[in-house]
Amino acid sequence: MSSSQTSADAERIALRFHDATAAYDSDAVIGSINGTVRFGDSVALIGPNGAGKSTLIKAVLGLVPVVAGSIEVLGTTPARARGRVAYVPQADGLDADFPVSALDVVLMGRYRAAGWLRRPGKVDREIAQEALERLGLADRASDRFGVLSGGQRQRVMLARAVAQRAQLLLLDEPFNGVDTTTTEVVLEVLHELRAEGASVVMATHDLSIAHLACNEACLVNRHQFAFGPITSTLTPELLRKTYGGQAVLLAGDSSIVVSG
Amino acid sequence: MLSRLLIEPFTVSYMQRALLSVVLLSIMGVVCGLHVVFRRLTFLAEALQHTVFPGIVIAFLTGQSLLLGATAAAILTVVMFSLASSKTNADTDSVLAVLVTLFFGLGVVLVSRSGSFQHDLTTLVFGRLLSVSTAELVQTGVVAVVVVAVLIALHKELMLRAFDESGAKSMGYSVVTLDLVLNCLVAAVVVASVRSVGTVLMVAFIVTPALTGRMAARRVGYMLAVGLGCSLVAGWVGLGLSYELSVHRGVNLAAGATVVLLMTVMFLLVAGYQAIRRSYAPEAHNLYAPEAQDSYAPEAR
Repeated sequence: MSSSQTSADAERIALRFHDATAAYDSDAVIGSINGTVRFGDSVALIGPNGAGKSTLIKAVLGLVPVVAGSIEVLGTTPARARGRVAYVPQADGLDADFPVSALDVVLMGRYRAAGWLRRPGKVDREIAQEALERLGLADRASDRFGVLSGGQRQRVMLARAVAQRAQLLLLDEPFNGVDTTTTEVVLEVLHELRAEGASVVMATHDLSIAHLACNEACLVNRHQFAFGPITSTLTPELLRKTYGGQAVLLAGDSSIVVSG
Repeated sequence: MLSRLLIEPFTVSYMQRALLSVVLLSIMGVVCGLHVVFRRLTFLAEALQHTVFPGIVIAFLTGQSLLLGATAAAILTVVMFSLASSKTNADTDSVLAVLVTLFFGLGVVLVSRSGSFQHDLTTLVFGRLLSVSTAELVQTGVVAVVVVAVLIALHKELMLRAFDESGAKSMGYSVVTLDLVLNCLVAAVVVASVRSVGTVLMVAFIVTPALTGRMAARRVGYMLAVGLGCSLVAGWVGLGLSYELSVHRGVNLAAGATVVLLMTVMFLLVAGYQAIRRSYAPEAHNLYAPEAQDSYAPEAR
C-alpha cells in the first residue's frame, strides 16, 4: 500500500482497498476498509447481517459510490473493471418461474462479449456448455432453471461467472442452504479458478466453509475489524468484537451462532 | 356458416382495414406484452390508459392532433414513473397510483370546463375499429414495426434485466435505460391503439394473450406463438361475429369489445385447463414448486 510499490507488485494485485468508505445512503455505509487481494487469493467477507457486506461488494462492482478513500479493481476504477468482474447472486433470490433454461442463464455471461444486437454465437454456446460441465450440470443444460434444485441453481449462477471468464469473482453467500454435492463441486471449481489466477471475494456466514474456500478473511461490521490471512483473522476474540459480543463460538472455529 | 362468419364480412373494405388493424395491434401487443408480463409491468400498461386522457383533452381543446396529445402524456408518465421508481424507495404500484390519479384528475378538471367533449371522448376510450382510415393504419404499422424491431434488438438484454437485475447491473448494463426503453414501448403501443380499439381495450391486447401464452408454454418462442395465435383468432372471429350479428341479426355488438371478450374466453380456457391439470396431477404441480428435496439438506453444514 506504500507509494514505493513497484509495478511488478501492482500486477499481482487484483483488488486494493485504501481507507475506502462506500455509502449507498445513510443506512448502508461501510467504512475504513484497508487491504489488498492478490490474484489467486480468496477472501471471506464475514460479518453479521446488515454489516455492509453487500454494500462493499456493490462498491467493488462500481454500483455503490466510494465516498472516501479508494477501491482499485484490476488496476483501475471499479466502473472500468466491470467487464472483467463477475458477480454471483444468491440463486434463491431469482424468479424460478422465469422461462429460461440452465444453458440460457449461463449464456447471459456471454452477453457482454457478444455485444449489442448480437445473439451469443456457437463459440459462446460451447463456453457456456463447458462451464455447466465443470459444475457437473452438463446433462441439465436444456432443463428449465426453475425445475433445478436450489443447489443446482446456485451452480448455474457460478457457471455463468465461469463463462464470463472473469479475473475477479464476487459471490454473495454461495453456500447458503445448498446440498453437499453443490458445496463440494463449488469448492473444487473455486480452487481451480484460483489456480488459474482468478481472485475470489465471498460473503459468508459459515466459518468452516470460509476455512475451506478462502486463504484470507475480512471481518466487517460497518467498518473493518480485521483483514489478513484467515488463520490469524478468524480468531474467537476478533469474531466476538466483530459480532458485538453476540457471537457464541462452537466447536473451536467452525461456526457462529448469533444470539439476539 | 363458417365462411359467412370468417370470410364474407371481410369482403367489405372497412372490415378489411379493421382486421389489418387488429393484426398489427395483436403483433405488437403480444411481443410487448410478454416483456410486460416478465417484468410484472401490467399495472403500468393499465395506468397509461388513464394517464393519456388529459393529453387527449388538452390536444382537443387546443385543436392539436389527439395522437400527439396522447403521446406527450404517455411519455411524461413513463419518464415520471421511471425516475420515481429508480430514484426513490417508493414501490412501483404506489408511484403508478399517484400518477394515475394526478393525470386523470387533471383530465376530468379540463373536461368539466368544456361541454362538447363527451362524444369524442367515448370514441377515444372505446375506439372506433370500424372506421379506421388508411392513414391511421399506416401510423399503426409504423409503430408496430418500431416496437417489434426494438424488442428483437434488445431481447437478450431485456430478458437478463427481467431475470436478474443485480446481474445485469454487475455486467455494466444501465437498468434505468433498459426500463425506460421498455416503458416507452408500452406507451407507444397504448397510444397507437387510441383510435382503433381505444386505450381501455388496448390493455387487453397487451396483457391477455401474453398471459395466456405465459401460462400455456415454457419457452419464450412457444409463449409468443400461443399468445399471437389467441390474439389473431380472437381478432378474426370477433370481427366476423360482430359483423354477422350487427348486420344480419340486428344485434349491435361492438367490434373491439367482442375481440377482447374472445381473448378473455381463451385465457379462461387455458387457465381452467391448468387449474384442472394441477389438481389432478401433483407431479405436474411440482414443476412449478421446484424446491427439490436436497435443497436445504442439513448435512451441507
